[in-house]
Amino acid sequence: MEKTTALGIAVLCGAAMLLSAAGAAAGAVPPILAAAVLVLAFPAGTIALFVWWSAGEGEEDIPFLGY
Amino acid sequence: MIGELIGATIFGLLLLGIHRKVIARIQGRPGPPIWQEILHTLKFSFKVSWVPRTASRVLFVGIVLVAIAIWVVAYLVVREGGSLLILFGIYMLHKIVEHGFGLSSGSPYGKFGGVRSVISAASEIPLFVSVAGIVLVTGSLLISDITAWQAVHGPLLLALPLAAFAMYLVLLSKMPWGPFSIVESKEIVSGYKTEHFGIWRAGLEVCNGLKTSVLLYSFIVVFLGPLPLLWVLALMLGIQVSLSFACALTPMLAPFDSVTVQSLVAGGLLLYFLALGVIL
Amino acid sequence: MNSIGGPPLFFLEFGDIMIYFSPYTVALFLLALVFTVLAIVSRPENQVEILFGTDAYYGKEIDVPEMRFRRFMSIACGLACMGAMVTGDLFDFTLFVSLVGICNVGIVAAVKTKHVQNAAFQYGIVALTATVPLFGGAAIAAATTGTLSMIALGSGLAGPAPFITRAALVLGVMGEGMAPFYAAKAEMFRAPGAPYVIMCSFSSLLIFLRVVEVVLTI
Repeated sequence: MEKTTALGIAVLCGAAMLLSAAGAAAGAVPPILAAAVLVLAFPAGTIALFVWWSAGEGEEDIPFLGY
Repeated sequence: MIGELIGATIFGLLLLGIHRKVIARIQGRPGPPIWQEILHTLKFSFKVSWVPRTASRVLFVGIVLVAIAIWVVAYLVVREGGSLLILFGIYMLHKIVEHGFGLSSGSPYGKFGGVRSVISAASEIPLFVSVAGIVLVTGSLLISDITAWQAVHGPLLLALPLAAFAMYLVLLSKMPWGPFSIVESKEIVSGYKTEHFGIWRAGLEVCNGLKTSVLLYSFIVVFLGPLPLLWVLALMLGIQVSLSFACALTPMLAPFDSVTVQSLVAGGLLLYFLALGVIL
Repeated sequence: MNSIGGPPLFFLEFGDIMIYFSPYTVALFLLALVFTVLAIVSRPENQVEILFGTDAYYGKEIDVPEMRFRRFMSIACGLACMGAMVTGDLFDFTLFVSLVGICNVGIVAAVKTKHVQNAAFQYGIVALTATVPLFGGAAIAAATTGTLSMIALGSGLAGPAPFITRAALVLGVMGEGMAPFYAAKAEMFRAPGAPYVIMCSFSSLLIFLRVVEVVLTI
């Protein structure tokens, strides 16, 4: 996965969670939908965030392959 | 709500760190600092990661997402006062998720960890009888109804001490380094976690943190009733330390013995609740 | 019924056959769906085995026709599971559960290894035997109360089903689900193909989770 794609997914998931939570608090979004968004977006967002910040820049050393 | 989830995850990881510290102190070691598990999660999340060549790729990655998702559901169920059955279902399902972790990699160690998780799930299923006890006493399985019942009649712990004991045993069996943690015992390297490294392991640690919070929180809500937040956190810490003592002072059982002990307890409880059902 | 799996969100009626979605059944249904999708899209892993007592290891390959058959069986198992999760009719429930049992035997029996075949044969016998209490339980409920609808049984309109019905249903599900009898059998896991093996244990767990609700409701 590209580094920018991962960041995009993470941001998208975060935005979806925040928007749905705000919507549920304001009464515009049914709470069950907000919960569903949270369940789907929290794991995906977490992993995407990890992928984003662990992804290489293409400038790393060649890993040590052993003797 | 997202803030609560992150908070619950970090607090759960902190509790796991305290768990390690207490075990180490009992065993006469200095032990890692209590925030070690949080650092662990961060460290793993920065590592370069890939999927092993032998693994079933989609399952290998997908199971990490499922693992976090089911505990988000569990958190929401406890928070919103949903059905206790969903919560217990997720406790059982976590075993299947461990099974998936183990089998998806193709590694023999992971596979043995996965097999052991299903064995221990089979012995935990009868602990569902404590659900029957709760229905008999409170007449409902919705956590909101149970807390309402407790507001009138006092803690469920006093009315159903044996059900609480069964749940405590479930908590104990889900703690790492405990007598029943055969799924990650050292003779099979790291059990089901063996092949999940880097960000996948970080995802698993997030799941573990959330799991620890939800397990302890749900125990308090179901058996002690609704309490102020500070009390809940203090009680979670207390229960966690008691679990750490239990883990530190008992040897890890052999898989056969672990299943036998759990099954015997479950069988005894089944008889107790059948008798209770006849009396009530 | 409201107090067991949460208040029902939605009813779907096919004549007198009722499908209902309570938070509990919806959660189980979605889980079955997720794992079925995983079984569809993921390919089996290449299992690595250690030669006992040595440092040598070997990889297992899974051939395509076998993989196709097991995938088909897993999907069928997932569909049966989803049906068993949401149905509001006792007979439909037993039918779906027995279908889960058949699919589980299929998933395992497709592997052409002696030990796995032995395990599948024994499991098949248990699953066959378990259909007797399973359907018997539903039949007793119909005979004593005159209805098979869980909603009617749960609301007290038709009166609670006799205790023997519940006992028979639990016994039947325990036999159909692989978990209690065969979880410990290493032969089951000598078979490569993680997504399909997981479907076996997962479906047995799900039908067990559902039968807890059914038994507490009726």
